[in-house]
Amino acid sequence: MSSQANADSQGSDSLSNRYNFLLRGLLLIVVTGVVMSLGNVNIGAIGQGLGYALAGVCVFITYRILGFVDLTVDGAFPIGGAICAVLIAGGASPEAALLAAFVFGALTGLATALVDILFKIEGLLASIIVITATYTVTLRIMGGRSNIPLLGQETLISRHSRSFRGWLVEQFGDELKRQSTNLLEIMLFGGIVIVVLVILYWLMRSELGLAVRATGKNAQMVRATGINHNVMIVLGLMVANGLAGLSGSLVVQQFGFADVSLGFGLIIRGLAAVIIGEVLLRPKSTGQLLVAAVAGMLVFDISRAWIFSSLDLPTTDIQFVSALVVLAALGTPRLYERYKAYRQRFANTR
Amino acid sequence: MLKLDNISVTFNAGTNNEVRALKEVSLSLEEGDFVTVIGSNGAGKSTLFGVIAGAATADSGQIHLDGRDITHWPEYKRSQVIGRVFQDPRLGTCPGLTIRENLSLAAIHGRRTGLRRDVKQDQEQWFRDELASQNLGLEERLDTDVALLSGGQRQSITLIMATLVKPKLLLLDEHTAALDPKAAEQIITLTRELADRYEMSTVMITHSMQQACDLGSRVIMMHQGEIVFDISGRERYQLTPADLIDRFHSLDNAELSDAQVLGQTGSFSQKDLISLARTSSRNR
Repeated sequence: MSSQANADSQGSDSLSNRYNFLLRGLLLIVVTGVVMSLGNVNIGAIGQGLGYALAGVCVFITYRILGFVDLTVDGAFPIGGAICAVLIAGGASPEAALLAAFVFGALTGLATALVDILFKIEGLLASIIVITATYTVTLRIMGGRSNIPLLGQETLISRHSRSFRGWLVEQFGDELKRQSTNLLEIMLFGGIVIVVLVILYWLMRSELGLAVRATGKNAQMVRATGINHNVMIVLGLMVANGLAGLSGSLVVQQFGFADVSLGFGLIIRGLAAVIIGEVLLRPKSTGQLLVAAVAGMLVFDISRAWIFSSLDLPTTDIQFVSALVVLAALGTPRLYERYKAYRQRFANTR
Repeated sequence: MLKLDNISVTFNAGTNNEVRALKEVSLSLEEGDFVTVIGSNGAGKSTLFGVIAGAATADSGQIHLDGRDITHWPEYKRSQVIGRVFQDPRLGTCPGLTIRENLSLAAIHGRRTGLRRDVKQDQEQWFRDELASQNLGLEERLDTDVALLSGGQRQSITLIMATLVKPKLLLLDEHTAALDPKAAEQIITLTRELADRYEMSTVMITHSMQQACDLGSRVIMMHQGEIVFDISGRERYQLTPADLIDRFHSLDNAELSDAQVLGQTGSFSQKDLISLARTSSRNR
């Protein structure tokens, strides 16, 4: 009898979880909208956040699901960007470039997994070794140049920009004309991110995905159920870093150039995205966690753009501001915990 | 069924800390045997399990299971035919996943993982029945995160997971030692039920002399990396905890720690304690 009641409350719990998540999401959208309009933040920040979002998802998979301290994203991202730029400059279609970027990113992840498994070097060190090597590989891919411009080449964005601008002017007049590229980016990248999230969710909810999720939490138990946990680490790292490569190729098409140092500090950015998403949205299920990582990346880019526009800083200060935003994202929950503990102590002594 | 030939395991070979954990141990198990293993700390019990399960590698010797040489099989592959329950209740289940997801993972056992759904509707009744047989009410909480369960509850789920797809061999490594007396008793009852129902070969390490005498049809005592007693048949049925303690003290350097005597989670009776005190003083 009591167990029945227990089950019922569990059922409504999961329902209220879903409502809570939606409510928090709506609130976040409203607050972000208000901040953006009051702080005069260009909507380009959203497009940029969407470009980097999949790198955030990469960090989410390695850090939260596999429990693997993996910096490979710093190498997989520029390698994806480089292969994309070379292919597009060589006349390949942007879609083929995206696919190639995913494959090269996945191979980078495979390299880290193999270093970890074959040499028993722990993830952090293994990924540092791999990103050191990928720096050269990226330069080789770009033919020894550290930068490839895509001026005048057909990218996902440039392909549609003229027709989209025409359509925009036709529908809404000249007001939105200046924002047409930004709006196009948001729609295209938003679509790509949503498709990727759906596929990823489907993968995570398969037997393989279950085994990968369990590997990060308790590898011993996975081995004890007769599943090779090393294979799961390889798969997880390949998919995650494939997404980082994909993200790199999106950003390269957005910026209109590839650069060997594009991935610098990306792991920190991804980590910040994961933490921001978790703190603001309190995700509970796998699907919610994925959405939260993307939302976190958007909040990161928007708040950074906000700081820039309100303080009127030169763009060369970007890394310092990034570090500040990351510090705020990681530090605030901890400070709050300490504050609560302090108050508790104060209340007890009284 | 299970056959160990001259298995030796040495840790830190060639250094000052060299430990010969197993010294040419041979052991043979028949189909359906239920063996309890006792011995002091460092006697080699856990190493024996490690070698059978593939977590430790043997320096020499061979292991056969069901006629197949599994000496060089990796741990995960052996797990497809060997079920295991650990002392630490946290090791056997996966926190962050629900009971249903944990059981689904166990149901994969030995198959290849594919892109089929992680939780399947047609397995629901199966899981519910398995859980319902324990009277813990867990069958109504399939979607609860196992991290929210008590040690005893997690251990019973581990036990169900280890036997969900019937293994050829079940290894229980002091699986009640970290539990409170009531939970330990429930787990022992469940262990007995499962072993009877499936008639699978089971090896159980225990620190409790009482459990060693209550369960199974054969007792093995290990000491300093060797099997010193192997009691089965008629002699086994007349065995009492006091006899075991007597035998224990007949060994060189055998130390029975307080934890072993008192940490039996209440299964040691007053009478046993008195007989223990008597034997200890006699040895002195």
